[in-house]
Amino acid sequence: MRILVAVDQHPYSAHVVNDVAKLAGNTWADVTLLGVGSKVTDISRSSSHTEIKHPIMEALQNYRLNFLDYFEKTESPYEKRACNYEFVEVKRGVWEELYICRGARKDLNVVLRSGNPIKEILAQSQENDSDLIAMGCYKKGGCQWEDAVNLPQKVANNASCSVLVIKEEKKIRKISCCLDQENISQKSIEMINQMVTLYQTELEIVGLTDGTALKPMVEKNLNAILKYYNARQIKAWIKLVDAASLASFISQEARRSMMALWMGEHSLLSKMFSRGNVEKLIQGSESSVLLLR
Amino acid sequence: MLRTLVYLDADLASSIALRYACQLTHIINMQLHTVHVEEPDYDGHAPGTGWVRRTWESAMLKTGEFEIAQLIKAEKSSCPMLGTPKMLVGERENEILREIQRESYDLFVEGSLHSFTPKKLFDKIHSRLYRNIPCPVIVVKNLVSLEKIALIVRDEIESKQLVSMFLKIFSGAKLNFDLIYCEFQESGKLSSKGKADANGTLNAVEQILMEQNWHPEDCRTLQGAPEEIGDELRNYGLVASPLHRSISKKSNWFQLLSHIPSPILICWQ
Repeated sequence: MRILVAVDQHPYSAHVVNDVAKLAGNTWADVTLLGVGSKVTDISRSSSHTEIKHPIMEALQNYRLNFLDYFEKTESPYEKRACNYEFVEVKRGVWEELYICRGARKDLNVVLRSGNPIKEILAQSQENDSDLIAMGCYKKGGCQWEDAVNLPQKVANNASCSVLVIKEEKKIRKISCCLDQENISQKSIEMINQMVTLYQTELEIVGLTDGTALKPMVEKNLNAILKYYNARQIKAWIKLVDAASLASFISQEARRSMMALWMGEHSLLSKMFSRGNVEKLIQGSESSVLLLR
Repeated sequence: MLRTLVYLDADLASSIALRYACQLTHIINMQLHTVHVEEPDYDGHAPGTGWVRRTWESAMLKTGEFEIAQLIKAEKSSCPMLGTPKMLVGERENEILREIQRESYDLFVEGSLHSFTPKKLFDKIHSRLYRNIPCPVIVVKNLVSLEKIALIVRDEIESKQLVSMFLKIFSGAKLNFDLIYCEFQESGKLSSKGKADANGTLNAVEQILMEQNWHPEDCRTLQGAPEEIGDELRNYGLVASPLHRSISKKSNWFQLLSHIPSPILICWQ
């Protein structure tokens, strides 16, 4: 799993780094911390060293330290290992003592880009082939970043991978999850699983109906999902929602639950729930929002 | 021994109801019976009489039988007392009602998945079956473990009936339960305030229960909007409630019942 964490120097970003560290602890993900700002101009070069100065640099370095602090040094998959002499069999029956520096088992990269923050975040996610973009925002004022209007909303709508917008909040009580029940990917179920584990919360699986009953295929899939989570001791609830009331359900539920919506390219939800609705959800939600792709 | 009838269709709601009913057998001394009604197409009438009709009916039953048998088979290992389901042909509600009256069941259990819109539960409560059913009903909305029960009360008179039904069903069972008085108010202010309800209902009901040697773990008043109280009650494996068959859709009590995601035990008033 590859996670891109888009950050700036404000407190909501520090909060996201903490949550992503926990998520990475469970998934052993490759993580990139990305800061976007003005062009780097203050560069001093010497023969052995290049030093830059940038307003976001210190924040990025602190985030890296905070991220690594979450892990016990000996257990951490991101810990750089020491170099040592080791005997290595270089050809059959021939051993040579080599000076070997083993790298970390998983990557933690810190990247600073300059330019339009939305474009740069999307570009980095493409370059990394990220599975998830995580970012925070101010809870008040409709989920905003300092100096970048509607950044979380625009990234969420334009990313080709899953997006997690984390709001600083009291404990998440429930994850309400609208999956595309005729075509559920194992990856999306696993992602939900990770969120449930991360926030130690209950799960509500939404079944979309046409106003009367569930389609037999949807019902079969819901049963399978329910059994999957029950087997993992995850408390899972089912709630039926008429397709016609979906928007009103999501706006009500977002007041008390973290919403997880399956918005894959051909998903039913992406057809029923417009980009404008996604923006409104991210803005109006009291809780965090996960868009699965 | 409590005689319980579980209605089964080949769907998720029935599968959940069956699993839940099996859980109940670990707590209550009960006999579990299952029934399925195969409904003819609405536009088709039974053809002819005598042999022709019987052949038509058995062909219909065969269709449903296999799927219901699969449902039973899946639960049989965890619920060995499950026998062969009774298969009936006809109009669903009429047949269930007739079966309950004929066999004098003490409790009826059926699945109905929790829904965002209250219409489904409202229609159910006002269905011919529920309007005439002589025994209490458990509507299983979700599969939850039955660790604790909530008795929700409104006034002393209704509560007496609720308590007597509760004692009849759970006689001899060892279980934890709370007594909850619901006070409805506007949204956004859910609070719990101990035993202090306005008309002393909690004290009165607790007294009745204690006379029968039943001791609630907690007695409290929940204040809030129906959806908030309903959501709060999700922590219970069963919520027992009194209910008037003529309840209106807009009443707070009905709104509360429709927002509870856990199974509800309905005691008719």
